[in-house]
Amino acid sequence: MAELDDIIHQPLRLRIMAALNALPPGEGLEFSRLKKMTGATDGNLGAHIETLAKAGYVGIEKAFVGKKPQTTVTATSAGRGAFARHVASLQQIIAASGGNG
Amino acid sequence: MTTIDPKEAAQALNDIEQIVQRVRQSRIYDIASQIMIAAGVLVVAGNVANFLAPRYSAYIWLTVNVLNVAVAAALITMGARQTGVRFDFRALAAFLLFYAFGILCCGVFGHYGPRELGAFWPIYFMLFYCIAGLWFGRAFVIIGLGIIMLTLIGYFFVEGAAFLLWMAAANGGGLILSGLWMRRI
Repeated sequence: MAELDDIIHQPLRLRIMAALNALPPGEGLEFSRLKKMTGATDGNLGAHIETLAKAGYVGIEKAFVGKKPQTTVTATSAGRGAFARHVASLQQIIAASGGNG
Repeated sequence: MTTIDPKEAAQALNDIEQIVQRVRQSRIYDIASQIMIAAGVLVVAGNVANFLAPRYSAYIWLTVNVLNVAVAAALITMGARQTGVRFDFRALAAFLLFYAFGILCCGVFGHYGPRELGAFWPIYFMLFYCIAGLWFGRAFVIIGLGIIMLTLIGYFFVEGAAFLLWMAAANGGGLILSGLWMRRI
């Protein structure tokens, strides 16, 4: 039976993981870029990134570019694995229904 | 444990697909913006050099075009891992066919003068931006049409050698500004 990942399942966290997973391993997305891609607000995105980081699914790197603080979020290998399993489970649910999603 | 129905699962997969497309497009825009800024600098330099030394026009534009292809090839190759777009034999062949057809039009069929050449190449280039935009994102179409329009305005309304300076600003400057804009979208 398909087991969905409770942490990734939340719609915004799913979008965050999908965006980070689309990058080559080790590469991350800057906070404002991620915000634009997922359509989230600052506070909302920050909170969900925190949840993903606590689960060990993403890494957060804070640095200064000039005088501006910049936060980069990267999917960890554990996060990539969990995301791949979550996607496989979604596909399994559709396949089990005969593909009539 | 979370359970969902097939409809919700399909919706989630659709969301994922859309985000993946958005990320890919953003990476393509990243590389394209670098290519545009580099091309813009080369075009500004080419037009200004042509304005100052019209006798060497052929050498100037040969150099600009060779550098343009070399820079584009280098940037596409460096960004291939992120975009999935490679500068391979087909890309090189596409450039060669592009230039061959352009030379055929303006040198064999048309016998264009310097002014016509100055308008033809940017319009011809931008036509391909517009076509590429149909697959890679509408920003290319907007940029392509914008520069074509500015080129036509210059061709019809800017007289004499000042046309080269107009093209340095409209085509070269347009590419640089477009590249900077593309980075932000």
